[in-house]
Amino acid sequence: MAAIEAHGLGKSFGGRTACRDVSFSVERGEVFGFLGPNGAGKTTTLRMLAGLFAPDAGTARVAGCEIAPGRPRGPELRARVGLLTEAPGFYDRLTARENLLHFAFLQRARDPKRKTEALLERFALGDHADRPFAELSRGMKQKLAIARALVHDPEVIFLDEPTVGLDPEATREVRGVVAELAAEHATIVLCTHHLEEVERLCSRAAFIAGRLVAIHEMRGQQMLRVDLAAPFQPDGVRPLCRSLRVSGNTLLIEPLAEVPEIVAALVGGGARITRVVPHRDPLEDAWLQLLAEARER
Amino acid sequence: MIGVILRKELLELRRSPVLLLSMISLPATVVLVPVLLLAWLVHAAPEQALAFVQDVYGVRAPGGVTAGVAAVLARNWLPMFLVLPIFLPIVLAAQSIGGERERRTLEPLLATPVSTASIILGKSLAALAPALAITWIAAALFCLGVDAVAGGMVLPDAAWLFGTLVLSPLLALFGNATAVVVSSRVLDPRAAQNLAATTVLPLLALLVVQLAGRIALGPRFYFVLAGGVALADVVLIRVAVRLFDRERLLTDWR
Repeated sequence: MAAIEAHGLGKSFGGRTACRDVSFSVERGEVFGFLGPNGAGKTTTLRMLAGLFAPDAGTARVAGCEIAPGRPRGPELRARVGLLTEAPGFYDRLTARENLLHFAFLQRARDPKRKTEALLERFALGDHADRPFAELSRGMKQKLAIARALVHDPEVIFLDEPTVGLDPEATREVRGVVAELAAEHATIVLCTHHLEEVERLCSRAAFIAGRLVAIHEMRGQQMLRVDLAAPFQPDGVRPLCRSLRVSGNTLLIEPLAEVPEIVAALVGGGARITRVVPHRDPLEDAWLQLLAEARER
Repeated sequence: MIGVILRKELLELRRSPVLLLSMISLPATVVLVPVLLLAWLVHAAPEQALAFVQDVYGVRAPGGVTAGVAAVLARNWLPMFLVLPIFLPIVLAAQSIGGERERRTLEPLLATPVSTASIILGKSLAALAPALAITWIAAALFCLGVDAVAGGMVLPDAAWLFGTLVLSPLLALFGNATAVVVSSRVLDPRAAQNLAATTVLPLLALLVVQLAGRIALGPRFYFVLAGGVALADVVLIRVAVRLFDRERLLTDWR
């Protein structure tokens, strides 16, 4: 069963539509991206899925809990999901440890004290645990906020703009934490407008611009870019490829066979190869095109 | 969950010396000014003071000049100690929701499985406990001061005990619940504090009228007041829970 299934979710505030027709599913262990410009409805969708808002339209099932218009957003759903809010949202006068422990109790974590200590160590905050929250660096604050989202071992983790406003060093640290979670097969919905974050961390991404525009699969790691010294007709290797595009002296291949087999077939067919490199889908191009189409509509 | 919220709120208060100081300044004034004034009055011009008391309040002061003046004036000061438990929790309670929102701590709180009633009750108790403690300490110090000036035990009498032990907690709950209701609708904590503070005006008016000798508030009045305030407390707490609109709190910036 999917961790998240959303069907036609929509929400308005005082007659202004924040989002509509949002339908997608996220498998367990998947890192799913939410891309969209500011005000596109990403945070509203996340808040509906995290049990903070009730939708005006549509239904969803998150971690086994039903979400529907008019249905009260129960504590059961909020206990099963972890939400990293856009601002860290901790109490300045309390220490990092006190803050995390407070939320561990509120989230009904099993053995809150042990869990708090474990997370402080995991995120390298142990040496700063007794400093007031206000004195922590931006990166530490954000790591503490991610720790809070994990303190009750949630089934689904929602991360709303985890690197917004961070300096490059803190951004790198936080992305490292998210990558670690992804490697542990946590189910994550990552809301961002940084394309490189989605390319690096997500298997799929939904483009949202008031409504869900498209879902894009990150196949970059599976594609090959073959640079040639001279033009070449690659018909002989097509059976080894799921797709093959020719652009001047460059071939973009989505392989079916192993890379050495494809390279051997190309060389055997007379291709003069200068370079073979993994290729990412041009997410930025796709994103800008989808955005332009959405605005035209 | 109420205990978790209460503990956090009290921990934050303990780490806010300026806020604590601001809560103590009013009770200190309420205790010191009348006691010092009384001490000066009964020593500098005791006969005139007695004549004033008999003239304004129309009572024969028992137990000699000093004790008589002290007893009459001190008893008429009781409404001021009923204003304190309303006013003090307002300082904290008005910050409870709007303050969380302003510091952007509200969304993480609402994202937890904690119920609305637990949030409101936890925050209310955190505002009530220090307010009541300060009120009772101030009342005890006032009684000690008056007794010292009078040279015998004048206070507390039955009205004082009823006022501070029964009415004070009810009025503190009233002030707090009013502030929570206002705070969950008027999201600017300063505006919420100002609006909620207007609830002390009727009691202040009573104090002024009583000090002017126009009315004498007796035990029956305080019993009726206690009943009315208890009823208002129940209604206000229910209204506070009903008005706590999670979506509005996260999206409305007015």
